[in-house]
Amino acid sequence: MAEVRYEKASRIYGFGGVGAVRAVNELDLNIADGELLVLVGPSGSGKSTALRMLAGLETVNEGSIFIDDVDVTLKPPQDRDIAMVFQNYALYPSMTVGENMGFALKQAKVPKAERRAQVEEAARILDLEPYLDRKPKNLSGGQRQRVAMGRAIVRSPQVFLMDEPLSNLDAKLRVQTRTELADLQARLGTTMVYVTHDQVEAMTMGHRVAVLDHGELQQVDTPRRLYSSPANLFVAGFIGSPAMNLIETDRTGDELHFGSTVVPLSDDVQADLKASASTRFVVGVRPEHLIQTPDGAPCGATVVEELGSDAFVHASMPHNGTEATVVVRVDGETAITRGDNLTIAIGGPVHIFDAESGVRLGKPVT
Amino acid sequence: MALFTRAPKAEPILGQNRLVAHLLSFLTWIIGLMFFFPLFWLTVNGFKEESVASADPTLRFEPTLDRFSEVTEANSGLLSFAEAFGNSFWIVLISTAFVMVLAIPAAYALSIRPMKKWRDVLFFFISTKFLPIVGIIMPVWIIARDLELLGTRTVLVVLYTAMNLPLAVWMLRSFFAEVPKELIEAAQIDGCSLIGQIRQVLLPIVAPGVAATALLCVIFAWNEFFFAVQLNPTGASTIPVWVNSQQKFQGQFIASLSAASVLATLPVVIAGWVAQKRMIRGLAMGAIK
Amino acid sequence: MSNAVVDREVDSKKESRANEIKRLERREGWKRRLPILPALLFTIVVTQIPFLFTLFYSLTDWRIDKLEPRQFIGIDNYTSLTEESEKFFREAAWVSVQMTVMAVLFSLIVGTMLAILLDRKFFGQGFIRTLLITPFLVMPVVAGLMWKTQMLNFNFGIINWILNGLGQESVEFATRYPMGSVIVVLVWQWSPFMMLIVLAGLQGQDPSVLEAARVDGASTFGIFRQITFPQLRPFLELGTLLGAIYLIQVYDHIEVIVGGQPGANNLPFYIAQRSIGGGNRFGLASTYSIIVVIASIIIANIGLRVLSNLLEDDS
Repeated sequence: MAEVRYEKASRIYGFGGVGAVRAVNELDLNIADGELLVLVGPSGSGKSTALRMLAGLETVNEGSIFIDDVDVTLKPPQDRDIAMVFQNYALYPSMTVGENMGFALKQAKVPKAERRAQVEEAARILDLEPYLDRKPKNLSGGQRQRVAMGRAIVRSPQVFLMDEPLSNLDAKLRVQTRTELADLQARLGTTMVYVTHDQVEAMTMGHRVAVLDHGELQQVDTPRRLYSSPANLFVAGFIGSPAMNLIETDRTGDELHFGSTVVPLSDDVQADLKASASTRFVVGVRPEHLIQTPDGAPCGATVVEELGSDAFVHASMPHNGTEATVVVRVDGETAITRGDNLTIAIGGPVHIFDAESGVRLGKPVT
Repeated sequence: MALFTRAPKAEPILGQNRLVAHLLSFLTWIIGLMFFFPLFWLTVNGFKEESVASADPTLRFEPTLDRFSEVTEANSGLLSFAEAFGNSFWIVLISTAFVMVLAIPAAYALSIRPMKKWRDVLFFFISTKFLPIVGIIMPVWIIARDLELLGTRTVLVVLYTAMNLPLAVWMLRSFFAEVPKELIEAAQIDGCSLIGQIRQVLLPIVAPGVAATALLCVIFAWNEFFFAVQLNPTGASTIPVWVNSQQKFQGQFIASLSAASVLATLPVVIAGWVAQKRMIRGLAMGAIK
Repeated sequence: MSNAVVDREVDSKKESRANEIKRLERREGWKRRLPILPALLFTIVVTQIPFLFTLFYSLTDWRIDKLEPRQFIGIDNYTSLTEESEKFFREAAWVSVQMTVMAVLFSLIVGTMLAILLDRKFFGQGFIRTLLITPFLVMPVVAGLMWKTQMLNFNFGIINWILNGLGQESVEFATRYPMGSVIVVLVWQWSPFMMLIVLAGLQGQDPSVLEAARVDGASTFGIFRQITFPQLRPFLELGTLLGAIYLIQVYDHIEVIVGGQPGANNLPFYIAQRSIGGGNRFGLASTYSIIVVIASIIIANIGLRVLSNLLEDDS
């Protein structure tokens, strides 16, 4: 049971030299006791590095990391009371499942009987009892993943660290396992830091989600707020599937255009726009917030993705002198096909970002 | 990528047609047998009487083990079989042990927890293999002479260790590099000491590779002739020198030379057959893996 | 306490922390370096330092059979290499070049053919592979003696026996073709090695690429030339490099098969003969050694570039 705190923690490759690269830059992050926090970002965003800093596998060049108010920045991994699950599981191939799970306890010189009891308890939780005497190579991918989990929970550590633990599973098993994993975390009540590149996984599992890009923390918030109020252009584009429509546009006085229509702006956005010296902005609208209306902007359907309950229409819209592609969610029963013309307008929340800095205009939506 | 487990298998270049395939198989058999023939003939000659061996080639003869007992018991020359075998045995064993003791930690520092500039260091090791032995033989001879080591086992142990060390580092690195680094990290997080990580996690995985490497060192050391003859022509010399001394300048000697050759070759050929797959993999794939 | 004092305290705290991190990183660096040091030191002491001695000897007129102190004579030994008195050296150098090039080339050709033949499924594949690699395992001294006394021998060698059977005269191979005889034995021993390396390349091919080529309608020969061969290139280069490194140093075969006969002494043999083997000319022979080393460095430099390309996608 512990809270985790990153205080301006940086990982710098080639520290002190020229051309030093900041893989993680001055990360400030508080993770509450019992929280499941997901670190998400594209590859090279520094999410795994941030996790490995917490594990003690990467040097923290600047700043500090605390676990339960103890400064662990300079401590080796074994002194941090953490458990980690790796993407490739890293099961010891020469040991049985039982030995794998009990290895950490053995290192900690826990008596054999007690060790056995703890391993069996963990095996019971994870339905691994029949496999305790098998070698990892004789297990399926899903079973191996559970052994890796078992190895972590046997120790009852202060924090679980998960480095893309599900990405080696097939799609169906991944969906099933992520629910089980979230459930397990909730039952154990142990703080968990979970790294993934999959924003769907992040949104479905995380109590809060921290979005990273190029070593910088972009936003940390609940999944819902991340979706409804992205702090910048990167988060807006990264979170949500299909992605938010992001249409670049030149300002016309204090107005912004979306195709042939004028974007409805709230007062606070209007105020920020007036105060801004920039000329180019990005209009962000989620596909479900575009509606078909006779006085909307005309556009032509190019692709229709039928998902059953609803459908996504990719349409080409004359905008700002060129063609922009927008995605519109429509009802599953609507019979739009390729080549149909439709007229669309913004019928819900709209997000405006400065095209240069990527910063959001107006107050966050609550 | 394993060399001899081949699934999914790349299609062979030759042999789409059935008849062609059979002919090619036949041809491969013939060539394989031809390549092996000299060794077959050598072995056959070892079981002949001298007069039969030094005559027109024949397979019709009374096999005898006399040549083998003669060459192993004879003490005519400066060096008996027992002495040479004893020297070779200890020199090979001790030098290979030294090589492994030095090379395992070195390979570790080049793969599992790589030091900075590990590539340069690996290249240095390989490049010493490119230094021709004649480039150092004279100073080595002088130093050995001044230290009164000429004609001792010690000098060959030192030199064979140096000779095999780069090869062993090279091969072991390639085996170690196949171990996922997360395994070591997991062991670290599980609270395992450095020695424990190596002993309990790393070695069980790489043991077959370590064994194959050691075996290759044994083969090279066992077969080595140049140092043995230059630095130890008489005293503590080894099996290759002994075999060479079976060549006589008068009289018939082919049968006894063959018997001696078989005795000298058999141990490493069998060792090589047993470990061929892994040895080849480590040697050839060192560059690729 | 004034703000300045607090600031200074924070600063010094920050500094000591930065020092602590640097100290830990340095310690980690040494921890990583430590395991390699024994092997590195041993290798330097046994191989590099004697080499410096050789370099020094090569600049002297040292003979170990004379009591006169050795004299430093600069590069005189090197300039003498072009003179009439050193024609045996030049002969040996030329033998080394021919022998290495031919042995490497033929082993590579034979080895590649063997690899292509072996890269198919057929009855007894493993057995034939085992037979084929055996020559590489055989002690070079034994290989030399065996070929000399039982294959190439004038009176009762198998090859002359076959020649006689075909109505030909016997040939005294080892005296008439000394270099050819050595090369035959070298190729017999080294083709298996080349075969293994090429086989590794053949079997490492991505089968889906070959299937794609077949679907695209490429012929068997076309596939080999355009897909297999380019993929084999690094393996052929590796084989050439390793083969050249070993074959330039060949000594055993020469001593055993033709020992001392003019026309087949390569540099290692000639150097040994002129120094430890009774010649006693340590200064001059060291000069020869340096020449061999320079030649090897040239080969090695080309080779290392090849190897480093292979290591690129590995870190």
